[in-house]
Amino acid sequence: MIRYECFEWLAPLMTDQLVVTSLSGQRVEWGHLSKREADLNLGSMGNALAVGIGLALALPQRKVFVFESDGSVLLSLFNLPTLANLNPPNMAVFVFDNQAYSGTRISYPSATAGKTDLAAVAKGSGIEHSVTVSALADFKKEATAALHDGGLRFVVCKIEESVGHRNITRSDVDLLETKYRFVRYLERTEGKPIFQGRG
Amino acid sequence: MKAELANRMVVALKNSGIDFISHVPETRLSEMLPLLKADDTFMLVPVASEAEAVGIAAGAALAGKRAAVYMEGTGVFVSAYNLLTVGIRYGVPMLLLVSYIGSVEDQRNTFLYSQYGCRMIPQLEALGIEYRIIEDGGNIGAKVSNAVRAMHALKQPVALLFTGEFTEAQ
Repeated sequence: MIRYECFEWLAPLMTDQLVVTSLSGQRVEWGHLSKREADLNLGSMGNALAVGIGLALALPQRKVFVFESDGSVLLSLFNLPTLANLNPPNMAVFVFDNQAYSGTRISYPSATAGKTDLAAVAKGSGIEHSVTVSALADFKKEATAALHDGGLRFVVCKIEESVGHRNITRSDVDLLETKYRFVRYLERTEGKPIFQGRG
Repeated sequence: MKAELANRMVVALKNSGIDFISHVPETRLSEMLPLLKADDTFMLVPVASEAEAVGIAAGAALAGKRAAVYMEGTGVFVSAYNLLTVGIRYGVPMLLLVSYIGSVEDQRNTFLYSQYGCRMIPQLEALGIEYRIIEDGGNIGAKVSNAVRAMHALKQPVALLFTGEFTEAQ
């Protein structure tokens, strides 16, 4: 399965769902395919799941999608029992698992290239709907369910290591601009002020 | 922390608008937790690591909650990466309620804790996080609301370090 093909299929289907991305090629590819104000690009490893949980708890009426990588989830495994016990029904996590630290440029293997099964770790942490998909058709089924149904989902997407994102021109929208765009979008669509303080 | 002081702390948080608290429990300020849990004003979120407590508070703050993270002083070291990458670099207001374990005024200080205490201020200063040390409950309402105002003005974490009277056993 190719991550870009997953995103190419999913991006046009997104409406008012909030999306949190971490680092790695998925950040570049999703940012290239989706220009939505509802996208929150964190640009760091080990934070997207936690930020997604905070959004999902604070806005239970909104659907929150988190796009993670194997390296990022491995860096923050403590998120899984927390996510299981909080069990936000409006959250869907897609972990794009290429079994490598691709950014190293030497395809350094991650633990999922060895013995570790992230879906099993999530299941053992208490996340009931925790599955692994390896084919685009199965990704589409899980993503369709995440778009239309309730319930916490944790979907490990086994993908080929690809370097296609290195050919995508990087966005010049920096983190602060991303944050303000996201917050102003939420203020407008939720009808409430978020940042306090007037100059 | 004595029950009466815990009660005043919770009132101060409530009056300053805090409505979301992620936390890892600890020993010195823990008397606050049952009070926070019993008050519908607060969304109280138990977590496994201070690192994710910061991320979860950040997500809630970006969605309109007035967020705080309650942690032991050791949690500042655990969550330093997250405070920097999400709190500072992204610029997200949150109040850090930190038991200043191992500080000179920590009434339960021992060799187990003292090395954390003497490195707390250099750690916060290295992160660029504003802080205030609070040794007693006098004027606690104003101290908390000042910190909350500062975190919104700066749009980044601000820490309150509780020691002295706050570290006395119940």
